[in-house]
Amino acid sequence: MSAIRQISPWYLRQARRRRNFTTMLTAFFIIVQVLWIGVPIFMAVLWSLVDPNHPWSYPNILPSVLSWGQWSYVFKYTNIIRALKTSYTLAPCAVLLSFVLSLPTAYVLGRKQIPGKKFFQTVVLLPIIMPGMVVALFLSRVFTAFGLAQNFFGLVLAHTLMGLPYMIRVLTTSFEAIPQDIIDAAENLGANTFVKIKDIFLPMVRPGLLAGMVFAFTTSIEEFNLTFVIGTPTFETIPTILYSFLGYNFIRTNASVVALIMMIPNIIMLFVVEHFLKSDYLSASLGKL
Amino acid sequence: MKKLLVLMLALTVVAGIAFAAGPSIDLKTASWDQIVAAAKAEGSVTFYAWYFPDYFKEAAADFEKEYGVKANVIIGDQTANFNKAIAEKDMATGTIDTMIVGGQWVKTTTDLNLFYGPIRNMLPDNSKFPSTAWEVQEGVMINGYLAPFHRNQTGILYDPDRVKDPPQTWDQLVAWINAHPMDFGFCDPSKGGSGQAFVFTAIGSLAGGFDKYKGDKELVPSKVANWDIVWKWFNDNKDKMTITVSNNDSIMRMNGGELSMTVAWDDNVKDMISKGNLFKRAKMYIPKMGLAGGGDTMGVLKNAQHKAAALLWISFIQSKAQQLKKFQMVGAYPARTDITIEGTLLSEEDRKNNAIPWFPAPYKDFMIKEFVKNVLMK
Repeated sequence: MSAIRQISPWYLRQARRRRNFTTMLTAFFIIVQVLWIGVPIFMAVLWSLVDPNHPWSYPNILPSVLSWGQWSYVFKYTNIIRALKTSYTLAPCAVLLSFVLSLPTAYVLGRKQIPGKKFFQTVVLLPIIMPGMVVALFLSRVFTAFGLAQNFFGLVLAHTLMGLPYMIRVLTTSFEAIPQDIIDAAENLGANTFVKIKDIFLPMVRPGLLAGMVFAFTTSIEEFNLTFVIGTPTFETIPTILYSFLGYNFIRTNASVVALIMMIPNIIMLFVVEHFLKSDYLSASLGKL
Repeated sequence: MKKLLVLMLALTVVAGIAFAAGPSIDLKTASWDQIVAAAKAEGSVTFYAWYFPDYFKEAAADFEKEYGVKANVIIGDQTANFNKAIAEKDMATGTIDTMIVGGQWVKTTTDLNLFYGPIRNMLPDNSKFPSTAWEVQEGVMINGYLAPFHRNQTGILYDPDRVKDPPQTWDQLVAWINAHPMDFGFCDPSKGGSGQAFVFTAIGSLAGGFDKYKGDKELVPSKVANWDIVWKWFNDNKDKMTITVSNNDSIMRMNGGELSMTVAWDDNVKDMISKGNLFKRAKMYIPKMGLAGGGDTMGVLKNAQHKAAALLWISFIQSKAQQLKKFQMVGAYPARTDITIEGTLLSEEDRKNNAIPWFPAPYKDFMIKEFVKNVLMK
């Protein structure tokens, strides 16, 4: 082996080193992903399957008996079905409204020079900077005064409010990134405002829009405080059930079931959106819009 | 637009006034039959809790079957429940009719005058509960505004495979902690009542007993002057004990083998065992040095839309049949005095001899703040 190494030209040795380095990086990435994402999900799955009559306790490395007992408990004794329906109806509505409201705001913040632009860009982030329960307690007064508490439209509005900062921020960056040359060229070729929106702005902000939608959707699915204060008892969402097992009365087995119920559709959605996100970036960068 | 907003506001106010009118009878002077009739007319009750979804869901079904009144049970998080009730405090009509009140929040909610009452004399079985349970909850005077429905007690929970001779006195406990560093745990008292009970016992054992605080309505500074000894003990031994983040966290850590002895609530332990979150060999006792017990109550919100139905629901949960059912389903000890049950984690002898009452609320509040300042933040 040492003889071979001695006669290997330098460029082959360099290529081998590079390949080894890439393999090491890939292995590191896989290990981190497994530890960071895989292990917690695996543990949640195991805890959700612990048989109520056979606790998973020290010194057992793995549960001795697995069953669907924890799942049937959650489905039998909580309003999870109602919560699932509400959450997955609410989130798309909130995403749609976030899009409609954030598009003009993001356009102005991204493309126009207005006084106090930086200030407004910071102000739109306030709902996510402030503690959730503080926002919920103050907003609940306003929602109640306007008859928006305990009704679906009020909840859509509340969830929109929590998703808007993400949507506006991502779309603003997308609008900022559109090269002025393309817009000038389109204008020189006689494109009117409608054509510019349809053929330049919307296709070029689409990746940002999809990213913003993911943020707004997951924010809506995970929103607890505002929903609990202004929505319950008329509406319950998945996090309102999850917090009953995660908060003061922490029950790991039941919390794992509800967390998985909340997590699985979101993971599927993330993969779908990621697929579209990649193809759109490619189209945008190659000018094939 | 302006007109529309004014119209919406006016409609909200009118609706609020209409709902706030509540039942047409005066509940405080009405007979129980009249209250039941009013409850049936109201048709539903909304109840907020943060534990025992299994029991309360079944109780709601039983309640509807018996009275035809729908019980809408919302199991939330304890803090979120109270934040919601406080947020709705100034509304003419709130969305919560009745809720569970735990020791953590009883002082805040009582100070805020959140509950309607006193309800003690409106409920038919009030004499079946200890008089003190109607008057004081974990050191706070509740004066019949909150109804006892559930008793619980802190004790020392241990793994009999790892602890052969559990300590009974303070000195024995200290010796055990020294011999088994980090094997003993208790909850941060600002996060859970079991931790408060342990710190209370430490105060009683190290700072001159429990009796001197009895009957005080306000904190007497001279009585807490020597609590420095207690904080010093905690700081000196902090590295030998595990401070957990919640009542249930202590139990989970014991299940995972991190702790072999911890302070816990008996009802939490039963619940965790029944859900497969704690090994069945776990044992529990109240040591001779004493640990405080408590119990949760239920209150009717002042701005409840269905006050009569809320009273009927509380009375139903207090009934003998439901108290027994609650014990059978979740192992929660009944609050009634006319029920004798067997098969509890804590022996009746322990309860009779070693359970101690809390000191008054001002001391408890002070204890939590001082523990955070002098122990956790150091």
